[in-house]
Amino acid sequence: MPPKNKVATKPKATESAPATITTTTTNPTTTTSTSQPASQPSEPTTVLERSQHRYEQTRPFEAARRQHGLSKLSKEDQKGWICDQLLHLTDRLPAASRSRLLGPKASKEIWWTINGTNSIVRGLKYKHKSEPHTTWGTDRDGHDVGSYSIERFDERTKKRIALTALQVSSRVFRENVEREKRGYVDARSGQEVIVTEREIDEEKVRRSKMAALKKELYGEITGKLASSVEWEDVVPIPHEEPEGALAAIAYPAEYAEAMSYLRAVMSKKEYSPRCLRLTEHIIAMNAAHYTVWLYRAANIFALGLSIPEEIEWLNEVALANLKNYQIWHHRHLLVEHYYPTIASDPTALAQFAKQERDFLIAILSEDTKNYHVWSYRSWLVGKLGMWEDEEELKSIETLIDEDVRNNSAWSHRFFLVFSNPKYATPGKGATERDEKVTQELVDREVKYAQEKTYLAPQNQSPWNYMRGVLVKGGQQLASVQGFVEEFVVKLGEGEEEEEVRSTHALDLLAEIYAEKGENEKADLCLRRLAEKWDRIRGGYWEWRRKCLTKSAKVVEEETEKVEAVAVA
Amino acid sequence: MVVRTKGARCRNRAIFIRKFPKQKGNMAASNPTSRPNLDAITDDDFEYVDEEFGSSYSPDQVQPQPEPMIPDLFKQPPLVKDDLITDTSRLQDQTVDHCLPFLAGEDGPLELNDYGLPRLNREKHVKFLKQSLGPLPGRFVAMDASRPWFLYWCLSGLTMMGENVSSYRESVIATARTMQNESGGFGGGHGQLSHLATTYSVILAIALVGGEDAYDVIDRKGMWKWLCTLKQPDGGFQVCMGGEEDIRGAYIAAVIITLLDLPLDLTPESPAYDGGRSNLLTGIAEYVRSCQTFEGGISSQPNNEAHGAYAFCALACLALLDNPRRVIPSYLDVPRLVSWLSYRQYAPEGGFSGRTNKLVDGCYSHWVGGCFPLLEACLGSSGSGSKEKNRTATGLAAAPETLYSREGLIRYILTCCQDQTKRGGLRDKPYKMSDAYHTNYVLSGLSSAQHQWDLDSDPLPLSEGETTPTMAALGADSIWNVFPYIDDNDQIYEDSDRVRPIHPAYAIPQKNVAGIKAYFQGRSGFA
Repeated sequence: MPPKNKVATKPKATESAPATITTTTTNPTTTTSTSQPASQPSEPTTVLERSQHRYEQTRPFEAARRQHGLSKLSKEDQKGWICDQLLHLTDRLPAASRSRLLGPKASKEIWWTINGTNSIVRGLKYKHKSEPHTTWGTDRDGHDVGSYSIERFDERTKKRIALTALQVSSRVFRENVEREKRGYVDARSGQEVIVTEREIDEEKVRRSKMAALKKELYGEITGKLASSVEWEDVVPIPHEEPEGALAAIAYPAEYAEAMSYLRAVMSKKEYSPRCLRLTEHIIAMNAAHYTVWLYRAANIFALGLSIPEEIEWLNEVALANLKNYQIWHHRHLLVEHYYPTIASDPTALAQFAKQERDFLIAILSEDTKNYHVWSYRSWLVGKLGMWEDEEELKSIETLIDEDVRNNSAWSHRFFLVFSNPKYATPGKGATERDEKVTQELVDREVKYAQEKTYLAPQNQSPWNYMRGVLVKGGQQLASVQGFVEEFVVKLGEGEEEEEVRSTHALDLLAEIYAEKGENEKADLCLRRLAEKWDRIRGGYWEWRRKCLTKSAKVVEEETEKVEAVAVA
Repeated sequence: MVVRTKGARCRNRAIFIRKFPKQKGNMAASNPTSRPNLDAITDDDFEYVDEEFGSSYSPDQVQPQPEPMIPDLFKQPPLVKDDLITDTSRLQDQTVDHCLPFLAGEDGPLELNDYGLPRLNREKHVKFLKQSLGPLPGRFVAMDASRPWFLYWCLSGLTMMGENVSSYRESVIATARTMQNESGGFGGGHGQLSHLATTYSVILAIALVGGEDAYDVIDRKGMWKWLCTLKQPDGGFQVCMGGEEDIRGAYIAAVIITLLDLPLDLTPESPAYDGGRSNLLTGIAEYVRSCQTFEGGISSQPNNEAHGAYAFCALACLALLDNPRRVIPSYLDVPRLVSWLSYRQYAPEGGFSGRTNKLVDGCYSHWVGGCFPLLEACLGSSGSGSKEKNRTATGLAAAPETLYSREGLIRYILTCCQDQTKRGGLRDKPYKMSDAYHTNYVLSGLSSAQHQWDLDSDPLPLSEGETTPTMAALGADSIWNVFPYIDDNDQIYEDSDRVRPIHPAYAIPQKNVAGIKAYFQGRSGFA
């Protein structure tokens, strides 16, 4: 190990170690002016090393004892060490108690020795190895700043100074904002304090710098809101939850911050543009947040903002969140609010209806059976009175043409045709007959369903539709017997002969036979369904068969009763 | 509340596994030398086994692999199929393709029983649910408004699998407190508006952990006032202040009112207040009726498409209002509803779909499967209280022992819905991720497929002049008895894979329903 003799050091000192640290006990200062060659063979590379180094330089006796042990030191060094210890032990005491503790004579001797050794009175404290970190603290990654290289540390210090300077300026700015609010008059200029646009802009820049520095230095993420001038006056309400709460989510910092501001503004029932922006911010992170959506609507209504603009914004959000349903209730609220303003203007109403339909067509092309979209659509038809709108029916037909199995489209058609308040009896159940429904309408719809059935006979949608239409129109199911029988060939005439192209046809055929009192035929249909064509529903077909015998019994009983009465 | 088993016959039938599975339908010829699943045979019949197989069975002899007993119905695409290809059929075909290997037991090195079914992987599912109780990573932020659901899904799933969840009592109490609002009801978390869905899940979670400390968390008076503000003049309920009105609201309100024994009076603040003539339950059944569609199923709101989840809400809601035998046929077209529900089951998958022409999904095992106990009660098939067993209030035939294919559903659940990887949990269908929602509702469906419910009470007589019940929550106290369901053929799953029964309307065990009700019963005031 090459000793790194810097100054006037005595080469022997290094060579004679470990016996003594100082060859000249009379002048141990020489040691302090040099680095301790034995223990510090090289330039410190880290901050920690440098402080160790400095410690040893300021406390030569202690350093020597640590290295060699007290007993190996020369008498003079031992004395120097004792004085040094006493001095540092009593260092923190007030002068008066110090002298009381040691007595004037002892004090004097200590000081004499100290002066004689030229020792440094203000030595550094020692860092114990057991301590996890040095007094330098940790950085954003949890690393000990003490392990930094000197250059890196200096860099860091510069940044800290810059941050402090920014914080001071920022505090001045905030004070001025406060003063402006209170109408404070500046004593020197005699004018009211005014925060100019430029100052605000400067502060914005300052805050983003501060946030960047804080993040760099301490890994502290200053949320967008906390560093924003706009949210200056709001005291956020942080998420409160006890330790060990169930299903607790490790919220991303940005979300947690936004929510704490939301709680604050909601509790004050604030409605403002910034609240609107806050809701947008949260929705972007969690679109399934019903509270935020309702609060957003409340803001829009309170501020009297443009509904069409909001709807335009909503279209984007809806396309990005296809499975979300809060969006659709929000839209519902918007339209409820908007409707009265256009209700008396047929052109505006028609235009709005068209716009809405265009968007609905667009979103349904992405997700053809989206339940929430269809729910909204049926509500909209009622709200805007789109019953007679040919385009509505046409666009449903387009969807059915694209996918004849789209049951949502079939359901909407049923609603469109049979809930039209122009002729539908209000309060009629969907599976009930409505006397006001015309034969013409029933024929048209039955024909439509039948045409679509031919495309794919096992597709249940048109079968359900047709049956629904017949019931609505109060028509016998038997009126479509011919059509139904097209799909069932030679039933019960042997495995080879029998052909069923649609189990739904067979099901309806059973109903038709039952309706006509031809229970045996009905039973055959149901039996064949259970045995062969639709075995998964065996239990259901069995029940249907029981219902047949039952209704037959009821009929019998009733006939008997009637006969009995007649006889009486 | 009586929970009893049907005595010796049941127990035996439940335990015994037929040694040579009976051949079913037009099933593929089974291997005559197939040997019994010895693991499944209990000590009771061990001697029996020795006698039967002692001569032929030798462990050293190489035995031909037994052919699992899987009916063709679950191994082949349906008999009747159209040629026309559309988006719907493409997805449907793909789903069948995905499911078939699982249904046939060809998806991996799983140990299968004689019926080709894997075991219910309890350990993994329990672990999965415990993990889902948190803490959850940041990507769950989209579930921030649904955290109470996690409490219910996980605790309910764990309970069904036989876990004791009372150890979660303290944490449920602490969590629920932060979700409760001063103005009544529970929201999704601190600072979120009260919502019926989140309130429903918190209350059920509280009922599941039980105990007076837990029940005491609920601000009953606030709850009542809040419910009044949600009640609408048409009989339904908004799900939250300013929120949508739908059939979930009606069901959940009925659950809350009956579990907490809330007074039915409306506050003057209620939108439905009319000077005291209407109460919290007025018009609720009419609202449910207005949601039945031309297909026979139930939609979320009047005029929408019939959907499985809302069918359960409708039936369960009605069953809490009055005796299901009377109330369901009074308000719904039962034959159409039974038809629509039956059509939700698909073959070969065996599971239920939520709508016409949509795909099977494990969660409908509950939403659709859970309708059948209520329907069977409505059809009065097994009512021991009723003298005239074959006569139902509807004039319809009594339901047979089972209206749907329990075997199909159980096959779908055990083969397709279990995530057999380290992750565990149950899922929608193969190649989907398991989650707490599906885990709970698939287990609920399994539970209802494995049990038989029997409504042990006749409808209380109506007061004079009434044609329909006045909606006094008479159904909430209906006495339900539960038995393990015994198939007349074979039990295709191991008896130890039977999960616990849950109340057909409240969807938590009867014991927990009784516990919370007993606590609140008769507290008509708000002392």
